[in-house]
Amino acid sequence: MSTLLLDSSVVLAAIKPDDRHHESSAALLADGSTVLATLDLARYEVTNVAVRAWSAPAAVAPLLRILDRIGADGGVVESSARLIAHAAELAGDHTISVYDAAYVAAAAEAGCGLVSCDVRDLVSKGLAELPGAVA
Amino acid sequence: MKRAKVKVYLGILTDMAKVMVSMPAELLAEVDAEARRTGSNRSAVLRGFAADAIQRRRSRRAEGIREILDGLPDLDLAGRGGEVAEEVKAHRPQP
Repeated sequence: MSTLLLDSSVVLAAIKPDDRHHESSAALLADGSTVLATLDLARYEVTNVAVRAWSAPAAVAPLLRILDRIGADGGVVESSARLIAHAAELAGDHTISVYDAAYVAAAAEAGCGLVSCDVRDLVSKGLAELPGAVA
Repeated sequence: MKRAKVKVYLGILTDMAKVMVSMPAELLAEVDAEARRTGSNRSAVLRGFAADAIQRRRSRRAEGIREILDGLPDLDLAGRGGEVAEEVKAHRPQP
């Protein structure tokens, strides 16, 4: 039994059929063998991508419902001054954005693994695992 | 034979953490009653309740998300934008 913290990319990939991580992301979200959690930042990010990148406002409601379901399982970590200060340190150490680092910090503080589709900044640096590696 | 038993016992010890739990006396009495009924002990009953509660929560989440994914309207997302991880980054506030 373990807990995984998911970033917004996993939730987005689960509903985007042509994303390379679609199948594994959807499988992870629908798998009942692991506790899933996320960070409050994910709510803004999934909404922003649905509206700005996809021009698909109809996608917002199901994305937020998925995040609510995750919240009722392992919880939605609330950003705090301490978490963001930790993220700032990690961002400097790993040359990543504070946004990405916030997920890394949230996972570290919750004592769980981070799952992301972000190969460039998170998976390649050993800071997260792909959904296919944990599903 | 004795050796094998010791190994198992040590294995259990190393996997278990001891915790102190506070709870109302009435609830503890119910836990104890459950332990007597099942021929078990407090620790085992509390472990079972905790594991069951977490499993039920995970299962509800998994089932709920399956329903959401299965019931998605036709959002026609294929071909809109690139890989999601890059789209997340591209649409974050820029300095």
